[in-house]
Amino acid sequence: MRPVIKRRTLMQALATTAVACALPLTAVAETYDTSRVVAIGGATTEIVYALGEADRLVARDSTSAYPAEALDLPDIGYMRALAAEGVLSVEPTLILTEPGAGPPETIAVLQAASVPMVVVPAPYSAEGILAKITAIGDALGVPDKAQVLADDVRAALDDVAAQVGGDEAAPKRVLFVLSTQGGRIMASGTNTAADGIIALAGGINAIDQFEGYRQLTAEAISVAAPDVVLMMDREGDHSATPEALFAMPEMATTPAAQSGALVRMDGLLLLGFGPRTPQAAQALHDVLQEQS
Amino acid sequence: MMASDTTALPFVDRRNTARRAHLVLGALLVLVSLASLAVGASGTSLWGALMKLAQGQPLTLTERVVLWDIRAPRLVMGICVGSALAVSGAVMQGLFRNPLADPGILGVTSGASLGAVSIIVLGAALPAAVQSTLGAGLLPVAAFLGAWGSMLLLYRVSTRAGRTSVATMLLAGIALGALFAAFSGILIFLADDMQLRELTFWSLGSLAGASWLKLTIAAPVILVSLVLACSLGRGLNGLALGEAAAHHMGIPVERTKTLAILAVSAATGTAVAISGGIGFIGIVVPHLLRLATGPDHRGLLINAGLLGASLLLAADMVARVVVAPAELPIGILTALLGSPVFLWILLRKRGLVDM
Amino acid sequence: MLKAKNISVSYGRKQVLHGLDLTARAGTLTAIVGPNGSGKTTLMRALTGDVAFDGTVMLGDTDIARAKPYDLAAQRAVLPQATPLAFPFHAVEVVRLGLRGGINTNDRLALTALSRVGLDGYANRFYQELSGGEQQRVQLARVLCQVWRPVVGGIPRWLFLDEPVSSLDIGHQLTVMNIARDFARAGGGVVAVMHDLNLSAMFAHQVVLMQSGHIIGHGAPAQVLTDAQVSRAYGCDIRTSSAPDDGGWFMLPQSAGGEDRERVTRSA
Repeated sequence: MRPVIKRRTLMQALATTAVACALPLTAVAETYDTSRVVAIGGATTEIVYALGEADRLVARDSTSAYPAEALDLPDIGYMRALAAEGVLSVEPTLILTEPGAGPPETIAVLQAASVPMVVVPAPYSAEGILAKITAIGDALGVPDKAQVLADDVRAALDDVAAQVGGDEAAPKRVLFVLSTQGGRIMASGTNTAADGIIALAGGINAIDQFEGYRQLTAEAISVAAPDVVLMMDREGDHSATPEALFAMPEMATTPAAQSGALVRMDGLLLLGFGPRTPQAAQALHDVLQEQS
Repeated sequence: MMASDTTALPFVDRRNTARRAHLVLGALLVLVSLASLAVGASGTSLWGALMKLAQGQPLTLTERVVLWDIRAPRLVMGICVGSALAVSGAVMQGLFRNPLADPGILGVTSGASLGAVSIIVLGAALPAAVQSTLGAGLLPVAAFLGAWGSMLLLYRVSTRAGRTSVATMLLAGIALGALFAAFSGILIFLADDMQLRELTFWSLGSLAGASWLKLTIAAPVILVSLVLACSLGRGLNGLALGEAAAHHMGIPVERTKTLAILAVSAATGTAVAISGGIGFIGIVVPHLLRLATGPDHRGLLINAGLLGASLLLAADMVARVVVAPAELPIGILTALLGSPVFLWILLRKRGLVDM
Repeated sequence: MLKAKNISVSYGRKQVLHGLDLTARAGTLTAIVGPNGSGKTTLMRALTGDVAFDGTVMLGDTDIARAKPYDLAAQRAVLPQATPLAFPFHAVEVVRLGLRGGINTNDRLALTALSRVGLDGYANRFYQELSGGEQQRVQLARVLCQVWRPVVGGIPRWLFLDEPVSSLDIGHQLTVMNIARDFARAGGGVVAVMHDLNLSAMFAHQVVLMQSGHIIGHGAPAQVLTDAQVSRAYGCDIRTSSAPDDGGWFMLPQSAGGEDRERVTRSA
């Protein structure tokens, strides 16, 4: 093969990837060989299992930890640091991925190898979950099953939304803390999965000054005045006990510290935006109501 | 003067050892290269593909992609990066007369990082023309420019009236490295989620990002700087005795230093740009070779290039096979293999590496 | 002929050499002596171009401030006081650094030079494992290799030795001084900074006595190293060439013989 041709393929592939990341594909009309599927992204894998199509999976990425059977599949590594030959070694006929799979060089090689790749949409909203389910159902050629699942999820989400609408107490201000490593609090701003799930559960994100995850200053935390602190449930993370967290000086002045309101939930359940999200929203909603 | 004949004495000429090592290490590199093409997570067989080609049969798409788009550029990149790191290490150690010197202490790595981080975080603000021309080459070019810029700045700071003080340069290198790291820190703070993930991947150190496009930029730069570095052997030998002694032996000290600095910043900057932070090759390889074949830089630099390339390729093979189909970051492996070897050398030959 | 004119050197604001003139002939050994801090090592560094100085230093027809390192290296070699090495060189490899290129016949020269400084069989010893005195002699062998033939094409070559015997025992002091004197006898020039006045008087054709950055005596040892001059330079009352009053134990290297009887006529 001549390098000149290669370069063009690569550039095209890079461009395609960029477009795919920026504008999630919503309508997938093509039909694929779905005999050997690689699922990348926790929610993608969950949806494939929920659709009952798990026997098509030949590998998963390291963020796909639910359901437990998924852990038996070969792990192709972290979704942002995939190895091209590792992915090819499971001889995939289709790759289902959430946006952000990389690096671009690996994606370019996979496209050069003519492995079809479907990038499923993943906005952090109720509609986003349904679109994800529909896209995966279409890609796997089981739109009817997908419709059933989507209807179930929609019904469950509507149920939570109705409860939220009927809440009498003022909405809680929730601070999502990603980590407290080295005594620095890394918190979620807007446009994140955490922001999305807080909204679904009827809370208000206490931080709306920036997008993504940032380290917070002590003053920003006291201005944010969270009623509840939300964290992922991680084993061995000793700083995640209410005593340790609220002992941090920047936390001490917050309403959350005074009432000792720390909520911990499984990370994938809380932030996955998959079929279990209604369950997560319901659980978070219930906890927030208890704090009233 | 009197000429007592002493050639009859038993006498080991380590230059011959070094020359034999050229052959042995050259053969080793060929073997490791073939193994690197043959080994991988997928079952694609190099011999199978060669047999097919020999019989005039077409290769399958997977075979072609695995061998030509994945393993071959990775092999070339491993050779480039491994030899660049090892030779740069040897040159820097010669220049600083310090066997523990590493290109990292000169701020080259920090400079390269700053270049790369700038592109990842601020790249979108560049004119579209620049982005489309350089494409995926933008990051390597920026990292190389960062390394080179930091070297030039360092050289300006530490050179007075045409003379470079190694002590000043060392201190200035540490200070500038900290400054560049601070700038990178500011950019990292400004970065959004997506950019942070890209930064993490880049800083882990890996050959996984190998592509022919990157190599068309990086390989010629590294090749030229390695040839330049290998021509400095006699000068670096003289510098081992100190700058004054080297000058008295007729070595153009300032020119040797300037060329060494240029070669190192180009080679290290480019290597860091395309593969991220891969440590210990630059310290361990020259060290092992000095103990085995002597510190004469004329043989040492060539051997360092050969052994550095072989070592990195071997580490890369382990990195991509051991947790297949996933991969380990190679920086972890080189540190894991390199640091015990390094400690062992220090403990065993403590008397010989005192500074 | 080495001619230095009006040499001044300052370290920062402190002037350490005050307009010195110095002439040394090929075929002679010139010893620069004086107390600590008198400027003898600084003078040596000026003569070899290691410090910035005012004035001119001419080595034959070459202005050392302007000459290319390569041309200078062909004419003179310099032995520093001590040379630490960070890398595990063998003794013979250090000596070979004094040679140009990698011509194999030169190997024999490196081994011969080692033997000349009394280090037969040391070729494959690690430099770092040698004593200070042995390291100093390895460096001397390296320097000798650089200017092995004292005269090339009718032009004399030079050895500049900075305290060449300071870390040696008396036997090796004599060996090294004999090498320096033989080099001068064969037509080369030798300039040495010396601490030991006995050895200086014994081997040098010409002595330069320094004090506080000035040359206070310049000529044959017997004329320069008088009781009055030495007492003045070193700031203590000294009588030369006389046994102690109580006849106590003393030893002079001169008793080993080998004094150069011709030096008075040649250095005149």
